Amino acid sequence: MHRHIGLQRLGYGIFVAFVLSLPLFMHDARNQLFILTNIAVMAIFAMSYDLLLGYSGIISFGHVLFFGVGAYVTAIMMKNVSVSIPALLFVLLLTLLITAFLGWLIGFFTARLKSHFFAMFTLAIAELAAVLMEKAKGISGGSDGFSFPVPSFFRDKLTVAYVALISTLVIFVLLRLFVNSPMGTTIIGIRENEARMRALGYPVLRYKVLAVMISGAVAGFAGMLYGVSMRFVSVPSVFGINLTLDALLMTIVGGAGTLVGPVIGAVLVELVSQWLQLMAKSVPLLERWMLFFGLAYILVVLFFPSGILGGLQRLLILWRNRRRKAP
Amino acid sequence: MDLWWSLTINGLATGFLIFLLAAGLSLIFGLMGVLNFAHGGVFAWGAYAGIWAYAASGNFAIGVACGALAGAVLGFILEKTMITPVYGNHLQQILITLGVMIVLGELIKTVFGANPQGAQPPRWLAGSFTVGDVVMIKYRLFVIAAGALVLALLYMLIHRTKFGLLVRAGVANREMVEILGYDIRNVFLFVFVLGSALAGLGGVLMGPYVGVFTPAIGMEYQLLAFVVVVIGGMESILGTAAAALLVGLANAYVAYYVPPLTAAVNMLLMISVLALRPEGLFGVNRGEN
Repeated sequence: MHRHIGLQRLGYGIFVAFVLSLPLFMHDARNQLFILTNIAVMAIFAMSYDLLLGYSGIISFGHVLFFGVGAYVTAIMMKNVSVSIPALLFVLLLTLLITAFLGWLIGFFTARLKSHFFAMFTLAIAELAAVLMEKAKGISGGSDGFSFPVPSFFRDKLTVAYVALISTLVIFVLLRLFVNSPMGTTIIGIRENEARMRALGYPVLRYKVLAVMISGAVAGFAGMLYGVSMRFVSVPSVFGINLTLDALLMTIVGGAGTLVGPVIGAVLVELVSQWLQLMAKSVPLLERWMLFFGLAYILVVLFFPSGILGGLQRLLILWRNRRRKAP
Repeated sequence: MDLWWSLTINGLATGFLIFLLAAGLSLIFGLMGVLNFAHGGVFAWGAYAGIWAYAASGNFAIGVACGALAGAVLGFILEKTMITPVYGNHLQQILITLGVMIVLGELIKTVFGANPQGAQPPRWLAGSFTVGDVVMIKYRLFVIAAGALVLALLYMLIHRTKFGLLVRAGVANREMVEILGYDIRNVFLFVFVLGSALAGLGGVLMGPYVGVFTPAIGMEYQLLAFVVVVIGGMESILGTAAAALLVGLANAYVAYYVPPLTAAVNMLLMISVLALRPEGLFGVNRGEN
């Protein structure tokens, strides 16, 4: 058993080393660093989504709201107030505070609702936010958006890629610690059997609101990272419903309720969509690559409800059982 | 006064179009607890298929029939292939119908193109006439008449026929209906197809009403239908109709008198109803929430 854990640690170590060495092999000319950064941002966003969908059993279709707030707080502060590292740290604090507060507000009003109402409600709130931001062209730049400066430290693509990768690892570890903590297990318990948890005396609503808040804050951080790496925001690119759909797709395809799943999903979806977009130049039908993602997503929900990770796990168990039975 | 009349007619017409979309949504939800996130996709398909048939045949009636038919066919396929396998699992239902919504939207772009699509009312419904000082736009009156007719027919179907009795009984207590030996799945299939046909009908009528539309029309009006369903509760056709008209009228008045609030009015309606009466204005509180 001890040896097993040692091996696992070694495995993690090798994996982290591999991930951290990735940027060194990338060539800027082909935008690989850019794609890598994007994958990391989406992985963080998808992990925050998994905290809701996979661990709390809450379906939110308005998750992009937090992402958009994070991106816009960064953009507005950098453009209008000050471009410096301390300012960015202040932005981080502000983003976390605002998104956590928004999460509390939404959770407080709606976490008592049943799953379908919550899904409906969050979708409506996020759409409303997008419309309002679009109207407030003076601040948001609307569909055209605006670009803004970032501290010189973050102007180097390699640095940004490293910041994004390390952030992904740190957030993964933090979220992992959270879901394994007593608080996290309580949230999982609520997902499994809400009535029982209530009967046991847990303030169910408070835990659900907490899950929405933490998830919102992490999503806000992903939005901030997006802002820093893009140095550009517009309403459709950070408030569009397709971002929520992307996170949903990544979480479901990778495997909900695992935290690793969304990361795998993010890598897969980003790479495949890049590839399909390249292919679309020769095969026009592939321009509608979202169609294929939609179909794949439906197939996964229908036949592999636990995603790639769950499917692999099942295969592994089958294989082990077979090996045990063999003489 | 004439302004008030114009706004009211406008609001009622919008309200009835939303009703066509929301009626299916609330029946499907009330009966089986399935919240169909693909409903707006069916609506958009009704609009595209119907307007295409209308343009191809030159006959508006054929276009309307095709829109409704497209909705019904899509509804049948969806129920059989997508809803049945995940029946009883709310999480999966929501996830899968949302996936269907994406696919339906992308298919529209693939088949009809992503560019805005124009639609004109037929000649006999084009233009307007005046009563006193009030300008009556013919197509809006037509939409109101069609919506009212559908509402009346639907009400008769639900409240005056044996089948409607089964639907109402199923909404009130599904297990009891099943114990009595009725196959509720068949009832549900029919309701799903009917609701989808109504959504398709709503879509094709919406085409000339807005004049120009894009594939995003599905999501746009689905949100309104959600608001209506939340406000009206999921129990009755009349509740849904009242809520739809309320939303239509509120939008029309607010858009004219308080333009900055236009985007927020639906959400404000929904939030206030959810906060004060989570079972909906016309819903029955069964103590489940």
